[in-house]
Amino acid sequence: MSQSIINVENITKSVISNDNELSILKGISFNINAGESVAIMGTSGAGKSTLMSLLAGLDQPSSGTISLLGSTISEMDDEQRAKMRSESIGFVFQNFLLIPSLTALQNVTLPMLLRGNEDQAANELKAKKLLAEVGLSGRETHLPTQLSGGEQQRVALARAFVTQPKILFADEPTGNLDQKTAKTIVELLFAMNKEQGTTLVLVTHDPELAKRCQRTLIMNAGQCQESA
Amino acid sequence: MKTNKMIISWSWREIWSGQLWPVMVALTLIIACVVALSTLALRVEKVMTNQGRDLLAADLVFRSTNPVPEELVDKAQAAGLSTSSQSRFQTMAFSDQNLQLVTVKSVETSYPLRGSLTLRDAQQSAQKQVKPGELWLSPRLFSILESKVGDTIAIGDAELAISGTIEEEPELAYNPFNSIPNVFIHSTDLDKTGAIQIGSRVRYRLFINGEPTALAAFQDRYELQPGESWGDQNRESRAVRLMDKAKQYLSLTILMVILMAAVTLILTCLHYVRNRSETVSMLKSMGSSRAWLRTWLTTQVLIMFISAFVIGSSLGLLLEYLLRVPLADILPQQLPSIGVQPFLFALGVALCIGLPALLIPLTRLLDAPAINVIQKQAVTYSKTSWWLLLLPFTALVVFYGGNKLVWMVLIGLLVLFVVLAGLSYGFLQLLGKIKWGAALSLALSRISRAPKNSMMQLAALSGSLMLVALIWLVKSDLLGDWQQTLAPDAPNVFSINISPEQQQGYLQALDQAGLPHSDAFAIIRGRITKIRGQDSAELPAYQDPEVRILKREVNFTWMEQLPDYNEVIAGDWTGKKTVSVEQEVAQELGLQIGDTMTFEVNSQPFTATVNSLRAVEWQSLKPNFVFIFSKDAVADLPSTWMVSFRAEEDQTPLVNELARAYPTVTLLDLRTMATKVQSLLRQISWSLTGLAALGVVAGILLIFTLLRLSLSERKREITLYRTLGASKKRISHTLWAEYGLLALSGGFVAAIAAEIILSALMIWGFELSPQWHPSMFVVLPVLAIIVVFISLRSVIKGLLKPLR
Ligand SMILES: Nc1ncnc2c1ncn2[C@@H]1O[C@H](COP(=O)(O)OP(=O)(O)OP(=O)(O)O)[C@@H](O)[C@H]1O
Ligand SMILES: [Mg+2]
Repeated sequence: MSQSIINVENITKSVISNDNELSILKGISFNINAGESVAIMGTSGAGKSTLMSLLAGLDQPSSGTISLLGSTISEMDDEQRAKMRSESIGFVFQNFLLIPSLTALQNVTLPMLLRGNEDQAANELKAKKLLAEVGLSGRETHLPTQLSGGEQQRVALARAFVTQPKILFADEPTGNLDQKTAKTIVELLFAMNKEQGTTLVLVTHDPELAKRCQRTLIMNAGQCQESA
Repeated sequence: MKTNKMIISWSWREIWSGQLWPVMVALTLIIACVVALSTLALRVEKVMTNQGRDLLAADLVFRSTNPVPEELVDKAQAAGLSTSSQSRFQTMAFSDQNLQLVTVKSVETSYPLRGSLTLRDAQQSAQKQVKPGELWLSPRLFSILESKVGDTIAIGDAELAISGTIEEEPELAYNPFNSIPNVFIHSTDLDKTGAIQIGSRVRYRLFINGEPTALAAFQDRYELQPGESWGDQNRESRAVRLMDKAKQYLSLTILMVILMAAVTLILTCLHYVRNRSETVSMLKSMGSSRAWLRTWLTTQVLIMFISAFVIGSSLGLLLEYLLRVPLADILPQQLPSIGVQPFLFALGVALCIGLPALLIPLTRLLDAPAINVIQKQAVTYSKTSWWLLLLPFTALVVFYGGNKLVWMVLIGLLVLFVVLAGLSYGFLQLLGKIKWGAALSLALSRISRAPKNSMMQLAALSGSLMLVALIWLVKSDLLGDWQQTLAPDAPNVFSINISPEQQQGYLQALDQAGLPHSDAFAIIRGRITKIRGQDSAELPAYQDPEVRILKREVNFTWMEQLPDYNEVIAGDWTGKKTVSVEQEVAQELGLQIGDTMTFEVNSQPFTATVNSLRAVEWQSLKPNFVFIFSKDAVADLPSTWMVSFRAEEDQTPLVNELARAYPTVTLLDLRTMATKVQSLLRQISWSLTGLAALGVVAGILLIFTLLRLSLSERKREITLYRTLGASKKRISHTLWAEYGLLALSGGFVAAIAAEIILSALMIWGFELSPQWHPSMFVVLPVLAIIVVFISLRSVIKGLLKPLR
């Protein structure tokens, strides 16, 4: 039996905005096993991004517990969660979010640096290999502004996988790309995922993409249920 | 955590491409300015102290109306100080042909302890000391006494042969009226003159040299008796006062440049933080710890400080050299060494300003939440290190605590900043009420829609423009004032002792020679005997050793009208038997308008009522008097006349001819001295102009950064307008209209503010009368518009590039 890597117990999230308490997540529970790929779908404003930010430890739930790799991250402080992220989690965002003042190569080596791997030569070798894998050899020294959206997202993919994270979170990774480019990115994402045996949590509006995942969770107005 | 090579190279890139470069430029500028100006100030300070001592002829002088106590000399020698004594008195010098009142300075061979004495004999060889048996005359005496080197002159009872001319002497008094020609004799010949008798008016001096601490201790231990006083180099001399004002200007400029650089620093830092919070959120989402982020930021800050220090120090030295070039003649060849003090000072200043300016926003940057990568959130800052602000304030209090000027500028700035931003904002609001073209009204509505932002921008713009104007105006006013005292047509020769019979003829002779001259003034020598009926010796002021006017003869004059270069500050020039008194003397003597004073001329008493008080600029070479009487009060008293005139270099033969034609008239030729002072002024002016230019550059840099930052912050908004289909022309017109309005009103406000602060500075700081500069109301707005145009043209072009 495969072991649970993400466990969510009855989490809620509410924010105070304009003096009103706004309940975004209203009691969500589920379990994801190691190596699984899970798509989260739902209407806009349903709370998908919010849920993902909680799972990744970018923010804290208002109540309930979240366990990642056996540790209860909802009880950790900022620093502990940051450490957790640098060691076991990778991200791909809708708007790429590369560091504008770093080259493609440096963007990819950055997570290793943050982890404390300071062997520059080894880091660069690894990064170059990944950049080659996403089809960007020869573009290592380019700055993000010199790359197209699709190319930027490929750098972001290389960056996400370079530390061989246990879990990869992707929030609408193809949302800003045209169909053809999106397809390449998706292929790359799944290929690398398979190669590294990463657990994948993916927020998407694209049913085709969702179908490629083993499971799909549907969100609706802060509630969540497994799709058939 | 050890810093990795990549962090360093990344930091470099953050600095250059990531908006941090203006921070570095500002830091570099601060360091360069402080190094340059404090080095210069240090050098000038040392040179001035030396020059002051030269003027004094020693480090310290003891002055007395009685012979210097033997015990004092012994004590000085016991304390390891070197001494030399001098007695001086006035007596008649007789040649076979003529006679003349002279000041005899009887000195020891060791005279002078500081400064230089140059004596030239008939063989044109120079010597530096007076030896026993010698007699040296000031140049004028040769013509008055119609004598040459080798002739015998009687000084009192002593007969001495003339050894030669006094070419250069320390202790030069710059007072044309008391300038009776000097002669030097050696102290061993003093008794022969028979001048020292009971009742004779001899003044004694003991010159003392030594280590500053030993001198101070010596001075402290001795209790001054009546009639005794100390002189040290802090006593005001003309040159010292001049340099003092230059120094004040120097420190004022340093402060303003630092202030502007500091504002640039803060603005760019804030901008950087706004721009980089996204990067920090990304780094956090990737799991960077606070410690790592701290290393990352510290590396950047360190790199900036270190390179700013290195570049700034070198630039500073270069700048100091450039500022020093025009001063080459004033400064000695061998410059006093500067040591590390300016560099430490510069580093201190940079840290005091840079640490709070950088660390407060940067620590806030650490609080940018990771969640921002997904969802922008309002940031709550854990804690802001406001305490860092104590750094610059403490430093300010410690270093500038006693400097009136500095506080005046700072407080003035603060008040004006608030008031004027409001004013100009109101002005813009007012403009908004009028109907304008599309671009202008759009611009106006934008300005009034973001009041806080617009106010900030206006305040910063007008503030920096004002500083620029201030630096320039203070310089021009100072120089203007100096130039006025030594205008190219200022009189440079004074003729005194003109007898009443000669007066008409003398003036005619001047006219014939084509020498421009002043009116003739009567000179009546007399004493003050009573004030409000009380004997002058019984007045409290008589006991004050600083007040000498009650104990000596004074030059009186009468006039029909007060001279227009004297400002009447109280009372009116009216009434019979009246006198107008110079304000400082009036204050010393406690005189009020309406007080009666009794004077004595040739044992003949007369009384006059004080009708007015005048401010007199003693530095100017114009004829000035402490007491000016109405004609009826003194016209009948015996008087001589004086007149001042202007002679150019090539008119010397005319002057000599005049001297021959009127042998009894004493000519005080100030030409060499005036040229010397004039060239000194010119040199200082050059350096001050250099300084002012530096200040202006700093100010413009500030405005430049400010404008570019404010515009680049609106990139998003402008892109949006473009996307929504606003035409390029419409956007660029609106932007130009908006910034043009800002510049215009900022310029106006700056002009008002500069005038206000300038007047305050001139009145209380430099003690000059303030002036009005109407041209500023045109120059500043135009300058603002030009700067706005230059700094924004490329940015606006960039913003309007075709959308991708
Ligand atoms: N900090 C916040 N303050 C106020 N409201 C918030 C905050 N964060 C999220 N929300 C609200 O919570 C709801 C869920 O937001 P979320 O971004 O999770 O939706 P989503 O499912 O990702 O939508 P989309 O598909 O459009 O990305 C939205 O209505 C959003 O406005
Ligand atoms: Mg979303």
